[in-house]
Amino acid sequence: MNPLGWLFNRRKIERDLDAEIRNHFQMAIAERVAAGEDPESARLAAINEFGNVLQTREDARQVWRGGITAMAIDVWQDVRFGARMLIKKPGFSLVVIAVLSLGIAGNAAIFSLFKGLALKPLPGVRDSATSSVLLGRTIDGRGMGVSVPDYRDIAAQQQSFEGLTASMMVFAGLGRGVDAQRVIAELVVGNYFETLGVGAQLGRTLLPSDDVAPGQHPVAVIGDTLWRQTFSSDPAIVGKTIFLNGQPLTVVGVAAPHFNGTIVSMGIDVFAPLMMQPQVWPPSRLDSRGLFGLTTIGHLKPGVTTQAAAAEAAVLASQLEEAHPLPNYSRRLDVVPIWKSPFGAQTYWLPAIGVLGGMGLLILLVVCANVANLVLVRSVSRRGEFGVRLAMGASRSRLLRLLVVENLVLALPGALIGVALASFLLPFVASGAAANAPSRIYLDTSVDGYVLTFAIGLSCACAIVFGLVPALRASGVELSSALNELSPRMATRGRLRSMLVVSQVAASLVLLVAAGLVLRSYSAASQAGGGFESANVTSIAIDLQTAGYDGKRGPVAITRLLDALASEPSFERATLAVNVPMSLVDNGSRVTSIEGYSPRTDEDMLFLYNVVAPDYFGTLRIPLVAGRDFARTDDDGAQAAVIVNETLARRFWETPDNAVGKRIRSGSNEWRNVIGVARDLKYSRLSEGPRPFVYYPLLQTYAPGLTIHARAAADLNHTMRRVRDHVQALDPTIPIMRSTTLAEQTRVALSVYELAAGALTMFGVMTIVLAAIGIYGLVAYTVQQSTQEIGIRMAVGAQRRDVAWSFLSRGAKLAAIGAVIGLVIATLVSGAIGSLLYGIGARDLVAFAGGTGVVMAVALTASFFPAWKASRTDPLTALRHR
Amino acid sequence: MEQKRYRPRLEILQGTLDMLILQTLQWGPQHGYAIGQTIRSQSAESLKIETGSLYPALHRLEKQGWVKADWKQTEANQRAKFYRLTPTGKKQLLQERDRWSQLVSAIGSILNPRSAKG
Repeated sequence: MNPLGWLFNRRKIERDLDAEIRNHFQMAIAERVAAGEDPESARLAAINEFGNVLQTREDARQVWRGGITAMAIDVWQDVRFGARMLIKKPGFSLVVIAVLSLGIAGNAAIFSLFKGLALKPLPGVRDSATSSVLLGRTIDGRGMGVSVPDYRDIAAQQQSFEGLTASMMVFAGLGRGVDAQRVIAELVVGNYFETLGVGAQLGRTLLPSDDVAPGQHPVAVIGDTLWRQTFSSDPAIVGKTIFLNGQPLTVVGVAAPHFNGTIVSMGIDVFAPLMMQPQVWPPSRLDSRGLFGLTTIGHLKPGVTTQAAAAEAAVLASQLEEAHPLPNYSRRLDVVPIWKSPFGAQTYWLPAIGVLGGMGLLILLVVCANVANLVLVRSVSRRGEFGVRLAMGASRSRLLRLLVVENLVLALPGALIGVALASFLLPFVASGAAANAPSRIYLDTSVDGYVLTFAIGLSCACAIVFGLVPALRASGVELSSALNELSPRMATRGRLRSMLVVSQVAASLVLLVAAGLVLRSYSAASQAGGGFESANVTSIAIDLQTAGYDGKRGPVAITRLLDALASEPSFERATLAVNVPMSLVDNGSRVTSIEGYSPRTDEDMLFLYNVVAPDYFGTLRIPLVAGRDFARTDDDGAQAAVIVNETLARRFWETPDNAVGKRIRSGSNEWRNVIGVARDLKYSRLSEGPRPFVYYPLLQTYAPGLTIHARAAADLNHTMRRVRDHVQALDPTIPIMRSTTLAEQTRVALSVYELAAGALTMFGVMTIVLAAIGIYGLVAYTVQQSTQEIGIRMAVGAQRRDVAWSFLSRGAKLAAIGAVIGLVIATLVSGAIGSLLYGIGARDLVAFAGGTGVVMAVALTASFFPAWKASRTDPLTALRHR
Repeated sequence: MEQKRYRPRLEILQGTLDMLILQTLQWGPQHGYAIGQTIRSQSAESLKIETGSLYPALHRLEKQGWVKADWKQTEANQRAKFYRLTPTGKKQLLQERDRWSQLVSAIGSILNPRSAKG
């Protein structure tokens, strides 16, 4: 009979076995009686001869089970028993589950983020976590894309990747006129979908045959989200025409659900052939080796390491360098795993996630200490039960298993509730980050197999940790003392509980200090700004190309728009710009030459830039340290002008004043006169160091996608309405892609601090509550255990105050020990959260003092109530206690 | 009963009990109690078997398919579970006897090297 058969026939087998053993005794007794013994001694002799009946039954039953099945059945019995025990003590169970699920929730939330960034970075892409990126690097290691011609050469020659594909990310207007919306599109090479293993849920994907000749393939695949939200899941979408930056494209398919492109955290909505780039996003970048717009992705061949691939890329780089040298730039190519890729959110977020994960584990420590405490208290009341079990022949390991299984029974609901809680908490924690993002953010933070496995695994690990100490203790129960209920172990158990409380206080202090540091960083960061004044300034994005303007009509529209904005009486100042500062990502950079300066061969001459209209510096109140702002006269008719930042000026010309009048150019374009030097800003992120930056005048270098910055003392909503009115008056078909304030928009640069501050504050509150429960529980328990002692002390004349004080001081002493340990640990580890700090040191006194103050206050409050209750003890009742 | 305490007892070798049971069943179906009594009496009371340990062994043999069990009436008109040897059980018995005699002669040759050679 197979083990499963045993499961079904179990009852019959057991009945048979019992009957068989009964028969045996009947026969044995009958034989002895027949031989002349009296029935009672015959019975005893038969039993003696038989041996252990229970053991025999168990052994015989065991024969019919397979090894694992047997184990499973035993465990299942323990589970059922455990569940019954826990249902009988709902208070205990609910508290444990609640405490556990809090701890799991925080960790599961952080893990969900980690999963979205590192484990499933590109949803819908086969094994995206193990894919690699081939990228260019500047001399100081900054990652950048590769140019289209370089990519073609690399793809043809490389041997490391199974397949290498590439795409160019473009912010674009979708639709025509006022109804247009801002989307992120990827212009992709022909093998993109095939290489990624992404299919179409409707129609077809893009094929190599869609990417052959420039401008000849007006087709597109759209993403699932766009299809559902903008096109209401139109089943007849294939064959319809969409307009991307004004360029008509025929939809040939809808990509598989979940697929959101290849830039981590970006929700890509439209995929068009790279060959359509000159039409969708002019000017053409298809033939220039100096424009590094492509990001690549692919899987390495089995057995090829990242190092080997990077070595090959370096060889390819030097070959390209020899065949096609670029002025002022020497190629460096590198290969990194996707989680290290600078394209996407992973590089800013993963360090923060690491810190938060560490803090999450601290919470778990507090949770485990708390639950271990509860389990300890309960195991005291179960000593009798354990004693009986041991007396009946249960082995210690069997008892241990029962206790561990009981804790696991608690762990599972803890994990599930924790995950549910996490999916509620996550939007709360991450909302700040997502709300200010310039485009659709897509991170797969959903609850899936990864998150569930993590939560259940973590919860079970906790169960084993918090269950094991008490269980070891309980299974080591000495029979006599357990049954006598007079325990000399009481004292040591008290010491263990004190240690647990001390560790809780220490852990919560570390967390509170971290939360304090991050909160202070957040507040410093939100006040710091990036070197410009964002208050009372609009940030309204328009797109001329979507409205059908070309390189001829566009500049005219810009002039008229500037006139209109200047005529508005309620505006203090107004300007236009292509990029908004502090938007977390580095926007464009160009290889830049300085007249009369020959850079070293390995010098990084790739500088970030923006294109801005007159009065940009005045409107954003960026101080000019030398020269002047762009004026209306710096247009096509005038001499080519440029403004640089202080870092650039000092690097090449010693002082800002020296810089004015010198000439620079991008690539091999015309030379431009430096007319002004602007104070440095934080261009992408608050944490960045000083870097060279170039401002080109919009009136000399036309760009169709613009943001209107208007500053007014009046109500900002009114200002925004007036800006929209002027755009409407200029041409009602110009779409407003985004309408917000500069202050709001630059908050995205704070998102890391915001997330960390939100999550750590939440963690801090959670642990302090848990620690308070722990301290309260310990002091209350001590009071309860000492009722008699209190009675005696009061009977011999102790004052209520003395009694209260003795217990209060006990709590305070433990809290103080914990606080000192916590402070030491916090001092040692606070450097680790450096990546989340801004404007304060890792040993910030305010955060340390604040955290200590909160912990001590909470500890004293938590001990005060039981201590006060102790002082209310009636000596007479107390003496009769027990 | 009283006497047993003073007699030296031989602990049964692991696995040997199975062979003894099979051997006992060679002469026809028996129930558990009778098997125990038979082994005890044929060993001249020198093998110490906790009769209880018979039952797990019987079930083990049944699971292996070497014995089959049926509920039948005893001579005393009581229902009891009778075990009988199956053909594969017979083969198993031969094998085990074979192994046993090999074991005995091997151990014997270690204990009495000369007589084994002789």
